[in-house]
Amino acid sequence: MVVYVIETNNLSKTYSRNKVVNSVNMHVEKGKIYGLLGKNGAGKTTTMCMLLNLTYPSGGEIFLFGKDPKRYSNEIYPKIGSIIETPGFYENLTAYENLKIIGKIRGDYNPQKIRLVLEMVNLADDKSKRFKDFSLGMKQRLGIAAAILHNPELLILDEPINGLDPFGIKEIRTLLKRLSHDFGITILISSHILSEIENLADVIGFMDNGVLIDEISRDELHDRLNKFVEFEVSDIGLALNVFKRLELRENEDYTFDNNTIRLYSHLDMRDKFNALFVKAGIDVRKVNLCEENLEEFFTRFVSNN
Amino acid sequence: MLTFIEMEFLKLKRSNIFLLSLIGAILPPLLMFIAVFAFDEGHTFELLFSNVNMYMSALFAILLYAIMISYLFGREYNEHTLKTMLTIPVSRGKFLLSKYVMFLVWILILTVVTTLSTMVLGFVAGLDGFSLKLFIDSFAQLLFANVLLFLTFSPFVFISLFITNMVPAMVGGAGLALVNMMIYGQTWAPYVPWVCPYLIASGEIAEYSSSITLSYAVILATFAIGLVISYIYFTKTDVSL
Repeated sequence: MVVYVIETNNLSKTYSRNKVVNSVNMHVEKGKIYGLLGKNGAGKTTTMCMLLNLTYPSGGEIFLFGKDPKRYSNEIYPKIGSIIETPGFYENLTAYENLKIIGKIRGDYNPQKIRLVLEMVNLADDKSKRFKDFSLGMKQRLGIAAAILHNPELLILDEPINGLDPFGIKEIRTLLKRLSHDFGITILISSHILSEIENLADVIGFMDNGVLIDEISRDELHDRLNKFVEFEVSDIGLALNVFKRLELRENEDYTFDNNTIRLYSHLDMRDKFNALFVKAGIDVRKVNLCEENLEEFFTRFVSNN
Repeated sequence: MLTFIEMEFLKLKRSNIFLLSLIGAILPPLLMFIAVFAFDEGHTFELLFSNVNMYMSALFAILLYAIMISYLFGREYNEHTLKTMLTIPVSRGKFLLSKYVMFLVWILILTVVTTLSTMVLGFVAGLDGFSLKLFIDSFAQLLFANVLLFLTFSPFVFISLFITNMVPAMVGGAGLALVNMMIYGQTWAPYVPWVCPYLIASGEIAEYSSSITLSYAVILATFAIGLVISYIYFTKTDVSL
């Protein structure tokens, strides 16, 4: 039986007359990394804020660990670590002092644990630096340290790689994968950076204009990505004549651009098309079997929906 | 609650506002110390303590407390720490209550600083008439006035939650201090929440033909209104990111 750590039923949020989250039915499976993908303003942050009780829903239901968080807040929320947008910490304090406040208030203050998580996010060397002097990447890393300090069962991370350099992104990606795969932590992560979600998530939720359009597993996603063969030819006119003779239809079976033709049907016959081109005196410079990337899929998917 | 207070103190570490508030607490004694040399009015310890208490609780404290409240309650918004704190998780009511308690503790610290610095500066000025009883009575009077003032500042908590910027608090505090000066001596001064604490604590209220019970009622009503609206606002509105 599938166990959902996060489940929402028709979750909605309206500001004045503007419905920023519209009947979202989200299902985050235990132990999985769920990537919430959407443009800026799609409703990702508001949805996460409602899950964390920072924003009150206008309608719908939330279940965390199978329970109503309004009734079982003391039991549920200590199991969650989170980052919402840029992490906020006390600017006059160091990373250690900020984590000490969190640990003390939570009631599980442990200096060794703080040092350990600071090492995990590469902030152990900046002991005396105050938060106000942190770079954006350092702030983000401290946010992650605060989120994992108490060994949560669920991480809700809103754009956690914002401001990180490529090395930092790689480190955080590795850390999150480790937390999920080695420790079984469920992760809900939002991003507008498609490649990041593609690299990380087991399941992707596509969100646009406050609506969760679909939830697709990574395997299912690859099945649904359009595949095509790309021919780069010396004479596009002659190549198109070959396709026309075979009664292939433009825009449905193929598209073209300069000297490149993209074939979307009959992909298993690409060697035969290549032979026909050569027979017609066309030099075929490249034949690539390609797959639509997530960005192209996202654009197509959102515009279709 | 003790942990919350301990953490509120940690939050004040390296904080300029805390240092500025200490300077603010020393300022009335310092001005009165200068006045000892500027005006020949037969200064004694008793007069010094009395003047410091009046200027502190009827004037300086208004501006100082407005700034302190704005910093204490507004910084969680300005430094975006509210979302971090509330997702620990911390109950919103408990969080608000801990801020109120911290504000009271901060006031107590400043009261001690004001009274001690008054005593030290009195000795430096070579004044006569110091006694332990005078010192304790003067401290008790200032403490009582400041605790009553604390109660009247709950509406400022709501303003600080609503407008998190410190500028309105500074302008409002300065304005209210001026209003206090204008009202002081008027027949209806005992019914103004920010004037009557000093009048009650100093005993000057006896010179007015008014009911002291009504003054207490005004203070308590102000506290209750501020507490309720700040609680409702803080617990019922979404956390701004």
